Amino acid sequence: MAESTKKLKKPDVKIVLLGDMNVGKTSLLHRYTERKFKDTVSTVGGAFFLKQWGPYNISIWDTAGREQFHGLGSMYCRGAAAVILTYDTTSWQSYVELEDRFLSLTDTANADCIFAIVGNKADLTDSHAQASNPEGEGQEEAEPARLSLSSSSLQRKQVNREDAIALYGRVLHYKGLDEKACLPAESMCFETSAKTGYNVDVLFETMFDLVVPSILKKRNEGENSTVDLEAPSTGKRTKAGCCA
Amino acid sequence: MYVKSSMSVKAFELVPAVEREQLAGEKTRIGVECIECCGQHLYVGTNDGFIHHFLLEERTTAKGQLSFSSQKLLHKQLGLKKPPSELKAASALERLIVLCDGVILLVDMVTLEPVASGGTKLKGVTVFCVNENPVTAEPFCVEMAVASARRRAVHICTVHEDRVQILREVATPDQPCDLSLDGYFLCLALPTRYVILNYGSGASQDLFPYDSEERKPIVKRIGREEFLLAAPGGLGMFVNSEGISQRAPVKWSENVIGAAVCFPYVVALDESFVTVHSMLDQQLKQTLSFSEGHILQDFEGKVVLASTKAVYVLVPLPLERQIQDLLAGRRVEEALTLTEGAQRNIPKDKFQILHKRILQQAGFIQFGQLQFSEAKEHFRKGQLDVRELISLCPLLLPASSSFTRCHPPLHEFADLNHLTQGDQEKVQSCKRFLISYLREVRASESANGFRQDVDTALLKLYAEAGHEGLLELLASDNSCLLADSAPWLEKHHRYFALGLLHHYNGQDAAALQLWVRVVNGDLQDSTHADLFEYVVDFLSSCKNLDLVWKYADWALQKDQKLGVRIFTKRPVSKEQTRQLNPDEVITYLQKHSQALVLYLEHVVLERRLQKEKYHTHLAVLYADRVLALVSRTSATEDQLSSARQKLQRLLRESNLYRVQLLLGKLQDSELLLMERATLHGKLEEHDKALHILVHQLKNSAAAQEYCTWATAAHDHKNRGEIFHQLLRVYLDPDVPGGPRTVEAVDLLNHHAEVFDAPKVLELLPESWSLPLLRPFLCGAVRASMHARHTSQIALGLARAENLQLHHDRLKHRGGPILVSGKKGCHLCHNTFSEPDCVCLPGGKPVHTQCATQKLKGSPTKRQVDHAHTSNHT
Repeated sequence: MAESTKKLKKPDVKIVLLGDMNVGKTSLLHRYTERKFKDTVSTVGGAFFLKQWGPYNISIWDTAGREQFHGLGSMYCRGAAAVILTYDTTSWQSYVELEDRFLSLTDTANADCIFAIVGNKADLTDSHAQASNPEGEGQEEAEPARLSLSSSSLQRKQVNREDAIALYGRVLHYKGLDEKACLPAESMCFETSAKTGYNVDVLFETMFDLVVPSILKKRNEGENSTVDLEAPSTGKRTKAGCCA
Repeated sequence: MYVKSSMSVKAFELVPAVEREQLAGEKTRIGVECIECCGQHLYVGTNDGFIHHFLLEERTTAKGQLSFSSQKLLHKQLGLKKPPSELKAASALERLIVLCDGVILLVDMVTLEPVASGGTKLKGVTVFCVNENPVTAEPFCVEMAVASARRRAVHICTVHEDRVQILREVATPDQPCDLSLDGYFLCLALPTRYVILNYGSGASQDLFPYDSEERKPIVKRIGREEFLLAAPGGLGMFVNSEGISQRAPVKWSENVIGAAVCFPYVVALDESFVTVHSMLDQQLKQTLSFSEGHILQDFEGKVVLASTKAVYVLVPLPLERQIQDLLAGRRVEEALTLTEGAQRNIPKDKFQILHKRILQQAGFIQFGQLQFSEAKEHFRKGQLDVRELISLCPLLLPASSSFTRCHPPLHEFADLNHLTQGDQEKVQSCKRFLISYLREVRASESANGFRQDVDTALLKLYAEAGHEGLLELLASDNSCLLADSAPWLEKHHRYFALGLLHHYNGQDAAALQLWVRVVNGDLQDSTHADLFEYVVDFLSSCKNLDLVWKYADWALQKDQKLGVRIFTKRPVSKEQTRQLNPDEVITYLQKHSQALVLYLEHVVLERRLQKEKYHTHLAVLYADRVLALVSRTSATEDQLSSARQKLQRLLRESNLYRVQLLLGKLQDSELLLMERATLHGKLEEHDKALHILVHQLKNSAAAQEYCTWATAAHDHKNRGEIFHQLLRVYLDPDVPGGPRTVEAVDLLNHHAEVFDAPKVLELLPESWSLPLLRPFLCGAVRASMHARHTSQIALGLARAENLQLHHDRLKHRGGPILVSGKKGCHLCHNTFSEPDCVCLPGGKPVHTQCATQKLKGSPTKRQVDHAHTSNHT
């Protein structure tokens, strides 16, 4: 219910999740917002969620990965402050698609858009991703048991972290950005699991913190050009009546 | 034509407006081409080239159903080959803008007669739209955008009463298939994509691709700078003038024909259904079966749709009804979303009432599903009268409560049993929730006005559950109703708590009666393990003395040691009436000897009452006890020594008891020498005392202690005296065993400072050697020297002080004081005739008699300094 009231608020900034179908974009968002993992149906068109982050409203757009809705992608990306490019660690194809199909959609995003490369479904390939948070206590004792239990059922990891880091470099190159001036690849490539919650909070919260400067920048630029009739004006207002 | 709606939310109702017969009469091939609705006026264009004008009146039937009656006012053939394809009313101009056969015509709204129109003729027009957010300031004109066939441009025009005027031509990247206008923003459906074009600035923004071959585009202005577009995959996309989507899309079917917005819903029409999606959560809310539909448009909030044969109005159900329907389906979140989404459409005060009620209802639904934390949140936000919740538990509300449940009811439950269908485990969890919720309510201010109801209900719940909070509640400030709570507490055997409640209501007698019965085992209540102790403590602070006396006997009989606390723990009160008289208590305690001793100890040793009677009484009781133990052979050493210690302590420390009486009691005992010595000491018969200690008890340490004790109250001189006596007793040759030389030497050497050395030397036998007494003598000499030196220093200091004062005095006297015949007295102002005068402080000479008079009249008679007389002239 609290969310529904938020929906009426105007978002300050936009983050967009992009990636092939079935990589788990909706599940990632769902894990973060609802704290659980459930079966989701293929996203139709797109959905969005408003997150209150301190004094800011951040909208996170979950886009449809299906080819059918591909045309909408660049509209969703318009004015985005951050884009999360998501692939499935067990699918090389989903990684290839990011560059082939999705990267060009980000042309409409802000010039200073921040990129994150996220490999989801890490629980299928890495035993350490089978516990929700790597720093959490209690994980030490739980891990050996899980390790022995699940290591046999692990799938082959098709996309490694090095691949993600390389992609990040190419993304910056595509955007014509200087790698040295941008956030380092090491901190912008994540391996997550929506199923176990591994790294999910870290991912979103890192992104939120990173887009705050962009909100402030937008506000500073916007202040002079736009008058928001609905927001109560806090500016100086002379009380003098007419002819005064 | 329409069959029925699938019930999810009933947001709209499809109501026929114009029947087929009214349009076509007998003719079967007549079909609806376009419609326009403006207030009560409905215009319908048909495929036979007619425009029909109806007056549409809303009626409510007796059953509360809405219906429309339409009255045909006029119909007119336009006289063109083709039927009209679009109608738009410009009510301010009383003109109907008609698109027919690629031409835009102006028709009088009333007569339907074409108006001779001047200005530029627009030909090959495919589509036009009116600007609801016009940019020109002209009042009597309508802004419109027109797209024409085979032209990559849009014409911006103004429509006046008698003409259409082209303002400008805006080039477009491709030929527009459909368009919508808001301010300067043109939202265009081009053959392969949608674009937003600002014709003021020329800026254009591609939105997204689609295929016009595959499907008819939809471009619909839905509000200020916001459009709704049909997107591939059957999506309804929202887009604002910046080309950004700020709402998630809704999912339509692939072949949507028309769409409209009626906040908070998006309504769409396809070949067989009308679908209703919420803009708040993008969910499909209602589906109405509707075949052969081909037009869906909204006119000033009224959604009208038409099949080829007839016209219908999609009437939104009252919001409250929709919300209630959702709640009836237990769809709490949706109901709240809808309520909150409607906030801006409802006046603030009305909204608040509605919102509160919906929150409360939502809370009850969740309560019914045992989702307590969610329910609590909603109750709290909805400011629920907590008694609504209490009333779910039968009998919890006091009989005197004026509460009646809200009407219409907030929920469907009769009581908890009904709610849980008799599942006792669930009933218990509901009650546990209720307890925690009531506690929170009590802690906040929200129970104001019905505290009695809340507190009594909480008490009952606690009692029933055996909750420890019961005692806490009763011990703190509360408003529990006694009459209502008492039977409940009895029923659950909470007698201790009932007593507390009686006490809280000032009925201590009833409280005590209950507790005593519990202690005696007549009633069963294990709440308080040490209830007897509790009762005793209660009596000790009980303000009603009659009750104290009434239950004191019972308590003392049960346990003297604890029982006496009734008297000993009693706080000292300043009010005489609430004070127990110790004499009375002592008389009363005669028959309880142990308690009596404890009480006297309290009075004498703790409260330190300085009354001979109590001291003597206690001393006698101690002495009796010691004597009894002495005579009893079975008594252990420990018992005796502790009894003697008590006695000795009292004898030593108290100065009030009657010494002779006790001496008489102890005189005969050969064992109690120490006590006897002390008593002699009290009589200042130090000789006897020391004799007993030295010669009978033969305890020189005790003797020295005695000296210290006996002289503690006296000055040094006397002290020396007593030590001297001890020395004498030591050296007394007339006792069996002879003088106790060793002890004497020891005494002298260790207490050299207290003795007067010359007197000691007189006493000592000649035969004693000097080294034997060396420490004593050294000490004595040193002390003597020290005294001499000290007094010399004191003398010197005194002299110095004296000299100093003398010096000061001379300094202060100052110079001579002049007295002459010309000078006047400061008091009487007469001149001096004699040299005798008195000086006031500050050297002012006055007559002696004046000074005397002043001295008599002044309150402080020390001011005048007589010394300052002077004979100088």
